[in-house]
Order: sequence, then C-alpha cells, then structure tokens
Amino acid sequence: MISLATLKETAEAGLRYIKRQKDVREAEIFVADNATLSSRLNYTSHIPCNGVEEPKSTESYGLSVRAVFFHLKEQRIGMGSEPGNLSLDGVKAAFEKARRTSVHDPDFRMLPGPSGEKRVLMKYHDPLSMELKDQHLVHAGWQVITQALSEFEGAPALKALGRGKMKLRDLGLVISGDVTVLQERMAIASTRLGKVQTDESTLLSSYVTAMVEREDAKGTGFGCATYLNKLKGEAGAEAARNAVAAMRGVRVDDGEYPVILGPQPVTDLMNNLILPSLSADAFYDRSSAFHGQLSRQIASDLVTLYDHGAVQGYMGSKGITVLVGLLSNFYQTERLLSDPDAKEKLGVTPEEHRNALAPRNGFRTSSGGGRRFDVSPSISPTNVFFKGRDEKTLEDLLREVELGVYVGRIWYTYPINGLRAGDFTCTVVGDSFLIKNGKLAEPVRANTVRINDNIHRLLQSITGVTRKARGTVGWAADEVVYAPEIAVSRLKLSKIAGYMDGL
Amino acid sequence: MTRALTTDLIESLTPRAADLLADVARRHKLSKYADMRIEIVQEKRVGAENGAEKFSREDCRFAVGIRVLAGDKTVAPGYFGQTFGKGDMAGLTTKLVTGFKHAYDRAIANSEEKLMARSKFKDLGAALSDTKLAQTEAHKDKVKAEYAMDPRTVGIDEMLRYVTDVSRSLEHMDEQVKYNSVSAVTLLARELFASTEGACIDQSFALTQGSTYVVAITESGDQELSDSMGHQRGWEVVTEGVVEEYIRNLDLHTFSANLARDAVKLANSPPLRSSQKDVVVVSDPHFNTLKAHEIIGHPTELDRALKMETAYAGRSWLLRSLHDTQLGKQIASPLVNAYSDPSLPGFGHYKYDHEGTQGRKVMHIEKGIFKGFMNSRQTAAVLGVPPNGSYMATSAGLVPLVRMSTTVFGAGTRSPEEIIREVDKGYYIVGHRIPSIAESRENFRISAQKVYEIHQGQIGQLYRGGGIMADTKDYLMRVDAVGRDFRLYPIPTCGKGQPMQSRRLGNGGPTMRSRARLAGLE
Repeated sequence: MISLATLKETAEAGLRYIKRQKDVREAEIFVADNATLSSRLNYTSHIPCNGVEEPKSTESYGLSVRAVFFHLKEQRIGMGSEPGNLSLDGVKAAFEKARRTSVHDPDFRMLPGPSGEKRVLMKYHDPLSMELKDQHLVHAGWQVITQALSEFEGAPALKALGRGKMKLRDLGLVISGDVTVLQERMAIASTRLGKVQTDESTLLSSYVTAMVEREDAKGTGFGCATYLNKLKGEAGAEAARNAVAAMRGVRVDDGEYPVILGPQPVTDLMNNLILPSLSADAFYDRSSAFHGQLSRQIASDLVTLYDHGAVQGYMGSKGITVLVGLLSNFYQTERLLSDPDAKEKLGVTPEEHRNALAPRNGFRTSSGGGRRFDVSPSISPTNVFFKGRDEKTLEDLLREVELGVYVGRIWYTYPINGLRAGDFTCTVVGDSFLIKNGKLAEPVRANTVRINDNIHRLLQSITGVTRKARGTVGWAADEVVYAPEIAVSRLKLSKIAGYMDGL
Repeated sequence: MTRALTTDLIESLTPRAADLLADVARRHKLSKYADMRIEIVQEKRVGAENGAEKFSREDCRFAVGIRVLAGDKTVAPGYFGQTFGKGDMAGLTTKLVTGFKHAYDRAIANSEEKLMARSKFKDLGAALSDTKLAQTEAHKDKVKAEYAMDPRTVGIDEMLRYVTDVSRSLEHMDEQVKYNSVSAVTLLARELFASTEGACIDQSFALTQGSTYVVAITESGDQELSDSMGHQRGWEVVTEGVVEEYIRNLDLHTFSANLARDAVKLANSPPLRSSQKDVVVVSDPHFNTLKAHEIIGHPTELDRALKMETAYAGRSWLLRSLHDTQLGKQIASPLVNAYSDPSLPGFGHYKYDHEGTQGRKVMHIEKGIFKGFMNSRQTAAVLGVPPNGSYMATSAGLVPLVRMSTTVFGAGTRSPEEIIREVDKGYYIVGHRIPSIAESRENFRISAQKVYEIHQGQIGQLYRGGGIMADTKDYLMRVDAVGRDFRLYPIPTCGKGQPMQSRRLGNGGPTMRSRARLAGLE
C-alpha cells in the first residue's frame, strides 16, 4: 500500500497545479490506494477440491480530478482519472481529461464544501490488517475451513448418519465463502475545503455457507470486524453448526404466515429495496418506493432506521420511521433543493426540511470494493442501524407466534416490478424453521419456498424488533447493516420446486 | 511526458511476456504452472438526463492478473491482481515479478495448509486434492477486433451530443414521460494471455452499448422501464443500429423512443393480477433471452454445479455429486434445444477464453436431454471431460470464473404468429425486465416489459407490472411450441464471484410456448 503521506502530498501538489490554470473556477483532487485481499473457500467432501480455492488480491491506486471550468459564459464540470501515476504528470493527465470531457450540467451548482460538522473519527483502522502478509491471508481462510470441519466431525447428528458403509464425506458436506480484507487509503483536496483530508480504513469480513447436501440442509456463519485478531474462523464453525441444525427439513404450504426475519433477510431487504429507495437520487428520478412520502408514516411506529457514518459521534443519524431524512450527497441535495418538482417528489417543501437532505453519504464506492479513485461520487450508505422501540428478545418475538416461519436467509431479493412499485420476491435458502406454539420447530428445507410480497406492506406490518443486532455485509454491498430480527404479522409464501423430491 | 497508455502497449509486451513468465517460474522451484493476463481497455462513456448533459468520461484501464499452481507434496493455487497505469511502465517487469512472487507465496502457503488439513481430518480431508488442469492446446494467435467506427477515435463530444439529443427527444415526446436518462459506452479492449505451457494469445474486442431508462406517470398508474442495446462493434452500433442474421438492433434514438412509448402505454394500462394456477404463456425472443440466461446458462456453469459458488451465485440442480447428475436424462420437452456458443455474435463472443482454451459450442439440452456443462480447465479435470473454453473474468486483475458465453434456446420450426394463433386463452409475455431465480436455478420468477392477453388466437389487452413464475423443469417439460424467429440480445450486467464481477454477456432464443403462473403486482 502507498503511504498516506504520499497520497496527501500528491493531493496538495495536484491542487496547487490545478489552481494555477486560468479557466478553472473550482477543483477537487481525490487520491486513493485500495486493495481487496480475499481467501475464497471451496470445500466439498464428495468432490475433489482445494479447500482454500483462491487466495488472491486486487489492488488499484491512482487519482482523479473534478474541475469546474468557465467556458464561453457557461459553467462546465468534468472528471478525469489516471491510474497508477501519482506524479505531476498523472495530475496533468487527469486534469486534461476532466477539461476535455467536461459537460454543461444545469443541475450542477458547485463542488462539495465543508458541512460545519466536526470530524470525529481519526486513526481508527487496524495497522495489522493494512499490512497483511500472504501467509496470514491464506491462514485466515484455512482457519474457517478447519473450524467448520471440526464442527462437522464432532456433530452427533452427522455421526448417526455416517455409520456403517456410509462415511461422513458421503453426506456431501460443503463449505463455501470467503475471508475478505478491504484496505483503503485516500486523500482529498479541494478549493472548497480548508486543508487536505486523509483517511485510512480496514474492513474484515467472513461470510460462510455450509451444507449437508444429502439432507438439503444449509447454514450460514458470518463475522464482520475492523481488527484482524477478531476473526478466528468462528464463522466456519457457526455455518457448519447451522447446517447440521437444518437437517430433516420440511416444506411449507402456500399461504400467508406470521414471519420472523433474521439479520441476513433484513440486510438483503435493506440492500436491495429500502436503502435504494431512501436515496435522494431515487426521489429525483421518481423511482423511489417512498416517492412523495417524506414526513409520512412509511413503517410501523416500532421502527427506527438510520445511517451513521461516524459511529463515535452519532452525528449522521437520520431516523426514518416517519420518513424524516434521506441518504444524499452534495450534488443530489443541491439539485433537489432547486428542483421545481421537489415538493411533489418528496411530499414536502425541501427548504423546510433541509436537514433531511443533509449530504452525508457522498462516496466513491464500487460494489463492495471500497472507495476507488476512478469512481464518480455517488450515494452510498455506511453503517445502517435498524432499531426497535421496545427491547425485545428473539424469545419474546417467538412467543407471539402460534404457527409461523422463522426465515434466516433469503436469496436473489429483487424489486421484481421495479423499485417504485415496492413488490419484491426472493427464495428462502437456509437457516429457517417453522415456528410452532411460540418455539422454533422443524427446519424449513432449503430452496422450497418463495416469498412474494410488497415492501410497504412488510414495513407496516412489523410487530416486533429484537434489541440484539448483528453487523452484516451483503454480497457486493459497501454498507454494513446492523440488523436485528424482526417479526412481521404476515408474509406471502409459495411452495416451489416440488419436482426436486423426485430427482 | 512519456507516451500515452493505449492498447498498442500489448503489441510491445507480447514478445517478452511468455519468456518473462517462463523465466520467473523457473526460478521458483515448486512452481508447476503459471499464467498471466494483461489487459488494456480504452473506454469512453457519456450520459444525459431529461435532455441535459450529465457526464462524459474517457479512461484507459491497465490490469494484470497472475495465477500460479505450486507446492511440494500437494499442489495448490495462488493469485495476484493489480491495476497499473502509465507511471508503472518504467518498472513494469519488476512489478510483474513481484506480483508473481505474491501469487507463488500464496500458492505455497495454501499447499502447506492443505497438507496439514488433509492429515488432520482423515475422512473429511480425503477430498482435499492436488489442483489439476485438463489438457489444452497451447495456442499462439492474434485476434483482431471488428468495428467500423473505432471506439478510440470517435469524438467524445460527438457521443455526448448524440445521447443528449436522444434524451431531449424523449423529454419532448410525451408529458407523461417524467424522467429519462440515456447513456452510451464504446470501448476497445486488448488482452494478452501467456502461460508457462507456451500459450501466447493477443485478443482484441470492440464493444458499444446504449442504455435508456424512462419513468412514465399517468393518472392511472406509473411505469419504469430500462433496456440496453449493443454489440461487439464500434460506435456505429449506437448511431446506425445493427442488422445481422440474429441481431436486429435499432439505433439508440429509435430504440429509446420505442421504450418511452411503451412506458406510457403501460402506465395507462391495468395492472396484471397473479393467476392461482398455471396458464398458457407464449414468450417472445427478448423475454427468452433472460430466461435462457437464468435457467439454462447459469445452472450449466460447472463451477456452480461443483458447489464453488454456494455462498454467492448459487449451485445447480443439474449436479448433486459426481455420480448423481442429470446428464443423459430428460429435463425438457423434446422440442427444446439449448446451447452456449462463443462464436455467435454479440456481447458473449470470443475466440479464446481467459486461460487460452479455444471456445467451443457446448450443447446443454438436445431434444430435451441434458448433455453437458460449460467449464474451465480445473473444473473439466474434476469431471474428467475436455475443457470447452468458458473461463472468463471481468478484468485481468480478477480471477476468471466459468461464465456463459452466448447461451441460447435453439430455434424451432414454427412461425411465432401460428404459435399465438393456436392459443384459445393465454398470455403473451414480451420483453424481459427483472429476474429472481432460486439458488440452484430450480425455480424462477421473471418480470416482463409487457404482458398481453391472448383470446381465441388474438393478442388483446395489455397489462403492466407482471411476468411469470415456474419450476424450471416443469416449465421446460411443458414447452409445446418453439419458433423459428431466433434472436440474440445483450445482457448488460451479470454478477458472479467474490469480489463480485459484473460482466456483459449475450443470450437469446426464439418464441416459445409453455405453461406457468402469472405473477402480477402484489
């Protein structure tokens, strides 16, 4: 990784150069080094495999320039980037691209300036994770595999199945997933910021799926941390334990059921439906499921949901049970404030709700790959907190259900008729159980149930939220959702894939 | 300043890449095999929104990926990927050697850990095996890109003007179109593949894509629609469209106008309601493009079938274990043929995959019988079959995956009009929108752009907000008519792997008739 000092010097020198150019009204230079190191896992007891399938890394570094030009009485904004070149030549190349590709965007007002909020997070990254050695990366993956195998080997339920001619390996034990370390270093300088801002962060996650495939039993384990020494392969053991617990699964009949959703389904719904619908750009283009509903009740009054990018200070919190705040960046806020249709789009006059449009989520993220130098700023959530009004436990939620379903993991959750319609569908793929008389009962067999419902109905029908939440990162997502378990009074379930029983 | 970074750099790297790789591999005594991919992409992107300019970008990406198989008592893989720039040119050889060293060190550490795990877990450790690659010919070849208007020389101003004009025309077309965005990308990619087996392939691709998104709002309803057009050709794809045997792309202007008109019509149409039971559904080639992608392409990718994507993109219902597969079994009506073929034109076209294997046509379903999977050299070795050249990455810096090339339903013999005319009561499903597929692809729900009622052989009422839902095998077994109107369309994004790789692919098919449940607005 390139040092923070080098990134900072590049940003300072670059801005000095750009400021000297005559036709430049404003400019911003973003310099970043970004790496994803990953041990991808693939263990299959019944198929030859590597265990750790891909110990790998991908790294990119470079800079980008955003510049505002004044040309023929017209303001133009351009962005150019240059990979792998932090010299002044690199700055010049990126700047010339920005000039050459500048556009007259009538919605653009100015580059982002200081918000007045004081920065609270400094030096919060894990130095060990930032300097991860190849051997440590590989070992992190094998820790997960060996913990999972130990769990499988010691599971009495599997031993019972693996007697006689049948060996444990014949049960089709699968361990899949990864241990991923995200390393980010960046510096940003702007004519509208007082001094160069720098940041470095690390995120470690382990996401593991285990299966006893002969039983169609699937379990998940995951861990998410900012320090390397917090991840010890426990996600593997958890996934294996959950897979064993999911054996002898049953099918669920078509119908509407009271459902308790676990942290992963809550996260999946957040990633694919709720957070995209809470972004200012979705209000601007009228694609939000919450179009025109700012300041209105969009969910059960038990729920508070907020994004908080600076956890120590809770300054970025925006509660949205009644929709009071959106995820926004500087550009989207500025253009909504000057949009003649803003009242129709938001449901309120934007000037009276300026705080709801505070631009706190402008990031250059890239599908789970962190902040990249060559990505245009867009809206990205950070830490998302889903909270309940009352401090419930899972047992409290279960107690209220006579016959229902606990859904622990869903799959391919999409707004099937477009975001604005709010309809969603997904399948239930593991970690799920029937609920009978207030208790978890038989596991639900993986891949036998599809959920078809609507996000408005779901949010309004939440009847309970657990106090305990779990930090969960979705596939290719940049945000961490601190997701609880939530009870929903009814959800539409359809049984699927009956033919699989006869194959 | 040094020379600009362009795709021409590949020309100068080609003669020394194979030698460099062979030399560095020789100096690492436990190295059994290595390959290196170098890619340079020159790309231009423009976008407009509601008739106004929105963005324009011009980038050149330079990425490298290295794979090493190494080990003493057992062989294991290690990988390295990096994005480079002009500033890296001076010390490129040193950087490539450093990258190789990382991949090698990871492979060695991986090999040692694998050995320990194998000895610790006697029964469960037996599956931990040497990494093997199926044999393939070491090709030396150069493949040129096809285009009329070179993506490298087309003016970015001209591109921006074009999409802004398109967007402006949508803005003025109908007041019920409340929002539109139009974008286009044109690029030239040049890839170098070299291996310690002696392969050295220099392959170039041109690609151009146009995309449109519209939101129409009326008194009676609203409708969002988005779609993309494109081909592996130059900027002419956007300005002139494409008329080929299997690809009929309109120019972006007409394409976008048609989409906006459809959105307005749909916003004024009644919502589709779900059916409780299966109904007769006739689906058009555009809808079947996504259906082929989801229920044929993905489950026939062998890495999924071998459980390597269990945590991410999912498995395949076509293989439970090496001894329990659907190979040779009837999984569809005898009218159904399906295959992947990288020689077909469009986004999925290539001559060699990203480990130098020549791409071949892979028959998946022949007269209803399941015939085979797309594979890589590693997955082919596990199954004991020849590699068929289906191992592709989104960027050279990322590890390739088994990827569909152009996966399609094969053409039938019937006229689409006749297929509709025979339906007494049913629905005509036109154009794909959004898919949601079960984890092993055993069930699917896909929404359509338009759903029409068919009554006594005639197309009638248009509905908005609907699609179909079915169990995959049941749907395929009930196909009772296949049209001769075979068409290919682009799929602009398909996500797979970790980190997720989003890749452009091609898919297609003819008109088909079967039975499924209607899935309407909830």
